[in-house]
Amino acid sequence: MKKDIYAKMQILSDSAKYDVSCSSSGSDSNYKTGELGATHNSGICHTFSADGRCISLLKVLLTNYCIYDCAYCVNRSSNDIPRAAFSPRELANITINFYKRNYIEGLFLSSGIIESENHTMELILRVLKILRFEHKFNGYIHVKLIPGSDEALIAEVVRLASRVSSNIELPSDNSLKLLAPNKTKEKVLQPLKIARDLSLERDNKAIGMSTQLIVGATPESDFDILKLSSVLYDKALLKRVYYSAYIPVNDDKNLPAILTKPPLVREHRLYQADWLLRFYGFSYDEILTSQAPNLDEELDPKTMWALSNLHLFPIEINRASKEELIRIPGIGVRGAHKILKARRFKKLGFDDLKALKISIKRAQYFITCEREFQREIALYPENIRAALIKPEPKKQPSLFDVSGITGEL
Amino acid sequence: MILRYDGTFEGFLTLVYEVYHQKYKPQLIEKPSLHPKLFDEAIEIEYDGSKSQKVLEAMRQKWSKQDIQRVMHIFLCDTKAFELDLLNYIKLGFKNAKELQNINNSSVFFINNLEKELFRHYHRYSGFLRFEELEDGTLYAKIESKFSLVYLLGRHFSKRFNNQNYIIHDIDRSLAFVKIGDSMDVRQVSEFEEPLRSASEEKFQHLWQTFFDSIAIESRANEKLQKSLVPLVYRKYMSEFE
Repeated sequence: MKKDIYAKMQILSDSAKYDVSCSSSGSDSNYKTGELGATHNSGICHTFSADGRCISLLKVLLTNYCIYDCAYCVNRSSNDIPRAAFSPRELANITINFYKRNYIEGLFLSSGIIESENHTMELILRVLKILRFEHKFNGYIHVKLIPGSDEALIAEVVRLASRVSSNIELPSDNSLKLLAPNKTKEKVLQPLKIARDLSLERDNKAIGMSTQLIVGATPESDFDILKLSSVLYDKALLKRVYYSAYIPVNDDKNLPAILTKPPLVREHRLYQADWLLRFYGFSYDEILTSQAPNLDEELDPKTMWALSNLHLFPIEINRASKEELIRIPGIGVRGAHKILKARRFKKLGFDDLKALKISIKRAQYFITCEREFQREIALYPENIRAALIKPEPKKQPSLFDVSGITGEL
Repeated sequence: MILRYDGTFEGFLTLVYEVYHQKYKPQLIEKPSLHPKLFDEAIEIEYDGSKSQKVLEAMRQKWSKQDIQRVMHIFLCDTKAFELDLLNYIKLGFKNAKELQNINNSSVFFINNLEKELFRHYHRYSGFLRFEELEDGTLYAKIESKFSLVYLLGRHFSKRFNNQNYIIHDIDRSLAFVKIGDSMDVRQVSEFEEPLRSASEEKFQHLWQTFFDSIAIESRANEKLQKSLVPLVYRKYMSEFE
C-alpha cells in the first residue's frame, strides 16, 4: 500500500533525528529581489523539540532504505523497520510550504543509500535543483554528501548547498572497521576533501562543511576525539564538528548494551572543549594530554585547564589583554568585552563587575581587581576545586523559625 | 515633580527641550494614562514639532548614528518605564558624547541592556512567529508581545518573503505590518475580521506537528529545558504546542 504523506514524514524524520547538526548560521544574508528565502548569519531557531534541541531546519531523510549494514545505525539494512521514500518534488514542495509559514530556515537533507551511492546523490541533487531553480529558493540547505559517489556529482551539490557534511561517526579506523564494514575513514572523508579543494580553488567564499562524531560507542578517549576535531578544523577546514552521545538503537556484541544511558555529560563537556578550540584560542593539547586523556565531569574544561595552570593566575582585570581575560574561568567573550569597554572609564573593582552583571562565582578565585581579591580560599588547586564543586548550602530550618508551622500551635 | 508626555519619540524630544529650557527636574515621567487622577500634579508636555526637531538636530551633530538609533529603539519597548534613565542618557550624551559608551553609568547600562533585551525578543520572534496561508495566498501572522515588534519583524521578513504578500498583526497594539507587492508599511488596525485560511493550510500544520513530534529523541527528553527555550508566553500561536 502506498504510504500517506504523514506516515512518510513520521518515518523519515524519525530516521533522521540522530543527526545532531541543525545549525543554520554562518551564511551571510543573500536575498534577491523577487525571490524566496534568505539565510541569516546568526542562525535562527524556530522551535525546540521535546528533548530541548533547536529546530532550525526540516531534517529528514529522502529515504531510509539502505544497502549498508552499519552496526550503530537504526536504518541498517538488516533491521526490520518501516521504510519510506519522498519523491524529490514532494519534499521540495513541503520545504517551501514550511518555509513560507516560518517553521524553518531551510532543509537538512540526508539519505540512506538506495540502489547505489551515485543514484542516491542524484536524487538529492534533484531536490536541490527544484528548490533553487524552480522555486527560486535562497534559504539554507544542508546536504549530507554520499561518500563514494562521483566527484562531478558532489561538486554540483556543493555549488548549490549552503553547507555540506559527511559524518565520520567513529573517531578511529579500528572502530569503523568493526562497526561500519561498508565504510572506511578514507571513504567518509572523500566528499569533504572534494568540497575543501573546491572551496580553496574558487576565489569566492568558502563552503561550510561539518561532520559528526559519535561519543561513547567505542573506546576512544576525549583526547583522541579533540585531537581529531582540531585536525578537522585546521587541515580539513571544517566549520563545525558535532558530538553525539551514543544512543543504543541496535543489539550488537561490539556495542554498549541497549539499556545503556547516553553519556550526555561527556557530550556536553566535549562541546565546551570544542568551543575553547574555536573561540578561545586554546589548542587541544592545552586542554588534554595523553596522560590525562579525559575531561572532568564535575568541572568545565576551562576551569580544569586553569587549575592545572595556576601559575598564570590571578589575572588582573584592569590590565589583562582580551586573550587573557577570556581564559579566566567563568568569564566568556561577552564578559570580556564588557570589562574592556568599562575599564576605559575607570578602575574596576568587584562591585563594578557585579554592577555590570558579570558573574564572579567562578572567576573570583582567579582574578584581582587592583587591590581586591578573595581571601577565603587559598590559591591551591585542591582548595579551589573543592570550593567550586561544593553543593549550594541548603537552608537549614532554624530552631526558632516558625515560618514552616501552619495550623494552630 | 512629575512630567507627562504623549509616549512618542517626538513627544519625548519635546520634553527634553523643555527640561533644558524650563530647568525641570522630574522625579517621574509618565506616559498618558486612561484614568484621570483626582489630584493630578503632572505637568503636561505638549508635542511641539520645532522643539523636537531642534533636539534631534543637536543629537545628529554630536552623536553617532548608532547612538541615535538606540534612542529610537527604546521607544519600541513601550511596556517599560525607561523615561528617567533615557533622559539621563540624553543629558549625559549632550555633555560628552563619549560618555554614552561608559557602561559604568547606571543609565547607560540600563539603556544598553534594554536595547539588547529588545533585540533578544525580536530575534526570538523571528523564529517563533508563525504565518498561515490565506485564501488568496497572503501569509498572515498574529503576534502578542511585550515590546512593539511589527516594524523590525516586517523588515526582517521583507528579505526572505520578497516575492510574497504578508501581514504581521500585533493584536494588543492593533498595529499591522502590511506588505503587498512592492509596498510596505505599518498600519493601525481599526476593525478586524478573522480571514479565511487556504485549503492546504490544515495539511501543512498537521505535517509540521508530525515532524515536530517525531524529531525528538525519547531517551533525551527534557521538558524543563524545552520550557526555558520556548517559554509558554511565546507558544500561543505555535501550532506544534497545541
